[in-house]
Amino acid sequence: MSSVSLRSLEKLYPASGKNPPFHAVKGIDLEIHDGEFMVLVGPSGCGKSTTLRMIAGLEHISAGEIRIGDTVVNDLLPKDRGIAMVFQNYALYPHLTLFENMAFGLRLARTPKAEISRRVTEAARILGLEGILDRKPAALSGGQRQRVAVGRSIVRNPRVFLFDEPLSNLDAKMRVSMRSEISKLHARLKTTMIYVTHDQIEAMTMGDRICVMKDGRIMQVAAPLSLYHRPDNLYVAGFIGSPPMNLLRGRVERRDGTLLFIESAEADAVFIPLAGPLATLAASVEGRDVVFGIRPENISETPHPADSVRLTLPVELSEPMGSETNAYLKTGSGTLIARLHNEKRYAMGEPLAVHLNLGKAHLFDAATEQAIRP
Amino acid sequence: MPRPLQLLLAILPGLALLYLSTLLYLGGRPLLALAALGFACLTAIVYLRPRAYTWRYLFPGLVGFGLFVIFPLAYTVGISFTNYSSANLLRFPQVVSYFQNETYLAADIKFPFRLYRTGGEPAVHRIALVDPREPGRFHLTEPLVLPDQAQTVDTTVVDAEALPASQPLGLREIIPLRAGLQNLTLRLPGGKLVTNTGLRDFGPRLPLWEHNPADDSFVNTRTGEHIRPDRETGRYVLAADGPAGPAGTPVGPGFRAWTGLDNYTRVLTDKGIQGPFLRIFAWTVVFALGSVACSLAVGMILAVLLEWKELPFRKVYRTLLVLPYAVPAFISILIFKGLFNQNFGEINLILDSLFGLRPEWFADPLLAKLMILLVNTWLGFPYMMIVCTGILQSVPDTIYEASAIDGSNAVHDFFKLTLPLIWKPLFPLLVASFAFNFNNFLLIYLLTGGGPDMVGASTVAGQTDILVSYTFRIAFRDSAQNFGYASAIATVIFLIVALLSWWNLKNQKV
Amino acid sequence: MKASTTRRLKLAAAHCFLIGFIALILFPFLMVVAISFRKGNFALGALIPTGDDFSLEHWKYVLGIPYEEIMGDGTVRTVQATTPVLVWFWNSLKVASTASALIILLSGTAAYAFARMQFFAKTTLLKSLLILQVFPMVLALVALYALLQLIGTYVPALGLNTHPGLMLTYLGGIAIYIWMIKGYFDTIPVSIEESAKIDGATHFQAFVRILLPMSAPIFAVVFILSFISLISEYPVASVVLQTEDRWTLAVGAQSFLYEQNFLWGKFAATAVLSGLPITAMFLFCQKFLISGLTSGGVKE
Repeated sequence: MSSVSLRSLEKLYPASGKNPPFHAVKGIDLEIHDGEFMVLVGPSGCGKSTTLRMIAGLEHISAGEIRIGDTVVNDLLPKDRGIAMVFQNYALYPHLTLFENMAFGLRLARTPKAEISRRVTEAARILGLEGILDRKPAALSGGQRQRVAVGRSIVRNPRVFLFDEPLSNLDAKMRVSMRSEISKLHARLKTTMIYVTHDQIEAMTMGDRICVMKDGRIMQVAAPLSLYHRPDNLYVAGFIGSPPMNLLRGRVERRDGTLLFIESAEADAVFIPLAGPLATLAASVEGRDVVFGIRPENISETPHPADSVRLTLPVELSEPMGSETNAYLKTGSGTLIARLHNEKRYAMGEPLAVHLNLGKAHLFDAATEQAIRP
Repeated sequence: MPRPLQLLLAILPGLALLYLSTLLYLGGRPLLALAALGFACLTAIVYLRPRAYTWRYLFPGLVGFGLFVIFPLAYTVGISFTNYSSANLLRFPQVVSYFQNETYLAADIKFPFRLYRTGGEPAVHRIALVDPREPGRFHLTEPLVLPDQAQTVDTTVVDAEALPASQPLGLREIIPLRAGLQNLTLRLPGGKLVTNTGLRDFGPRLPLWEHNPADDSFVNTRTGEHIRPDRETGRYVLAADGPAGPAGTPVGPGFRAWTGLDNYTRVLTDKGIQGPFLRIFAWTVVFALGSVACSLAVGMILAVLLEWKELPFRKVYRTLLVLPYAVPAFISILIFKGLFNQNFGEINLILDSLFGLRPEWFADPLLAKLMILLVNTWLGFPYMMIVCTGILQSVPDTIYEASAIDGSNAVHDFFKLTLPLIWKPLFPLLVASFAFNFNNFLLIYLLTGGGPDMVGASTVAGQTDILVSYTFRIAFRDSAQNFGYASAIATVIFLIVALLSWWNLKNQKV
Repeated sequence: MKASTTRRLKLAAAHCFLIGFIALILFPFLMVVAISFRKGNFALGALIPTGDDFSLEHWKYVLGIPYEEIMGDGTVRTVQATTPVLVWFWNSLKVASTASALIILLSGTAAYAFARMQFFAKTTLLKSLLILQVFPMVLALVALYALLQLIGTYVPALGLNTHPGLMLTYLGGIAIYIWMIKGYFDTIPVSIEESAKIDGATHFQAFVRILLPMSAPIFAVVFILSFISLISEYPVASVVLQTEDRWTLAVGAQSFLYEQNFLWGKFAATAVLSGLPITAMFLFCQKFLISGLTSGGVKE
């Protein structure tokens, strides 16, 4: 059993010198199942790396508890926790050959020579590093270095793999291929993996589940698609997806018997008549400040089968991407991005009629920033 | 569970310190013994307690630093408040015991002695004293080697039968042994001490001074003179007018006395000191500033020139120009000392044959100062060149390209673009260089030794002395060895340079 | 005038200036080499010794080889140095290299604590070390003398007039080196040691097996800088070392140039003999050192 569970985990850095005290992790609870690929994602400073380093044993735990399997590991040394870690800057030992880099931990544990050699060769085979094991890290490309760092983790046979932004130092192309290699590795080893990144594409493509963090708190934990389709709050809604979800601030009001979302704006406010399940939800927040959210792909030139609303808005800017075009439409207080499946280039200021798929739209309470759910 | 290395680090110094502590205690320094003991405990704590982990790494360095930087610093500041000098060398208890040990020879009683040789190489002797009051009674020593420094030996009372069987040595044989005999003090029963007074006799020695522990004063047992310690001047003085002189006349050796700020105020009030001190201080500043300015100017010109990418052989030039920096400074300085020598030096030889000049480099103050600046520029420009090259290379080429298009020239470029850009990183290095030259002892001491001497100074002071060489000479090269005054100047120098580096450090915001 | 002609003129002028300047700079060195081969101790005859002027007497003297000297009255006597300069050279080498090695040990471990650990008043301590270090050794001589005298009373091997005692006094000069090494440690990512800890290394193992081998370049720089500065150290050595056979080069070389006893030729041979290897070492490590000088001493 190598599940990982965090209970009311906290990290408080005391004030030092001119730095004020910093509450990096503010009491998080998270259950990571055996064999699961869990991604911690969030902007820098959200506490995701600190959380990972507490699991690794590199940071002291201020309060709370970490269990790996059935053991509380709070007071265990990193080496005794059954973990392996891959660092952002690879953290290879520059003065040792690749073989020695991977064998370092085994040698410290006084593993027999034959066993070391077997395990290192096996890891090298999995990662395609055979033939260059006598080189030093300086002679390798970024991708190769990252593979060595992963190899160094594999030979330890850990119960849990920890990855701290392992791909952010690679170029874009390398990143894509390493991403799939790590996914394949997970499929092959079926070991629990905890992966920290600030990149939502990595999070979406790799994670079994994703934990979105902000300011030392967990915003939402869910599988990638449910995170995308059912964000719990404004933060997750805005963080996941590219381009991000369109968010319009306004109020729900009833006019002439219909529920309307009215954008808060000085002029040219957008009016969206609400229908279907969204209208039912909106009824509960009538007269209150809300945020209306809709993803760009749910705004199209053709009507949707059910509950669609037609709006005509001036085009501010259009970005043809080849397969699709992102059109920036001007509203009273901002813009609505529509992902249109055509190759047209729109003139600036040209009025464009679009259809909003209300079946896929969201409402959030403006005060609590939580999604409004039935 | 402590590991072997850890145990080694904890136990070895611990044992060494315990041993030292025992030695110190037996040597009569209980306070130092206690300090060593405490230190042994500290070492053990640092290397055995897990909570002191960080200090395991810091400890050796901090001990070295504490012992050889902070202790000397504190010690120096401490003696700057005393009159420690060759005239006031001893500590007060040492002077007290000096008086306690002073004895005189009682003239009225004599112990004739017999010297027996009882063994071979090195010769072993026994001495028998004839008791003048009870002939037939002898005071006999055990066999001993005649000592080469003062030694006190016990005797036992015996009668004639117990004397060694051999013949006592004759006068002729005693003469070469006199030096050894005079080092001996024999203790008779009852504690009376006798020493050798001639080729035939020993005589009793009596303490000259009677100690009064209440106020540490002494009374002369022969003349009745009364002396008391004067803690202001650090001397014992006569308490009252008498045949030896008026009251207040110093007697015996001086001791170190706490004189407060005297050494500092002397600099301000004593004309014989104030004049030279201020002149030396001024020259120190001029010397340090001048050295930095000259070596910067030369180093900068060369650096800029060698940055000219079209110039061939730049690397060769650079290596040759670094040479003065590569040769150990003491060698270069001494080479110049020889080359500038007024009578035998090659520089005067050349000047003489070309222009008929023989400048007195070491006798004329102005020429000596000029020579020092010349030599220091020679020594210092390569460092400035290296530093300037490094900083110049960080200036992007594109700004020169841009200014060339704007119609600028090289001189204009340098003063309007380069200098303002490199000034910021350069400045702290210049301050450090100033601080270094402010205390450039080696150069002054080896080149001129501070000479030529100033006329009318009450301590040794030279025209080319800078503060630090002046201090060294006061303490170590002057017969007065005025450590107290030297330490006061040292403290002042330290304050100046420490403030300077503190300010420099603060400006760098590290 | 054409641009190319101006350029050529400028180049020629630069070369002339540099060659002239270098000639001036090298003049003292060339003179000393010449003087070391010249007969006698006075600047007589040609600047470059040839024929009758040429003699190996000074070299024989400094190497401790006996040679014959014709006295003023025509008699011949055999001269041999009581303490060959080679002995001083060996003393200097011994003292400077041992002390430098110890300095690396002390400053390296302290720098590790300053770079990697958190403790009370860390920055203050680091800055204080640097500021206190400006107190020149010359001024501390009275105290160092008293200290060595005390130590020597109980441990004679570390007392006055011993090489270990002299080395001991040099161990205080570590602040700058702590600063330099810490600067280097700071450039090495902490994650490498963390990685080693996950691999099962203790603090000390991570320091010795990972950080130390990676920091070899800075230790080389510190060793050479310290070595060079200790070789040139005069005041402390001159007070601590009292007998001629214990002297270091800096103390010994100085003894040739007393005004009353001006042994110019013997000094020249000493200077060449001892200066050459040290200079060669400096030039050999120049690249290393210059980076150390510009980045280390004063940290940006």
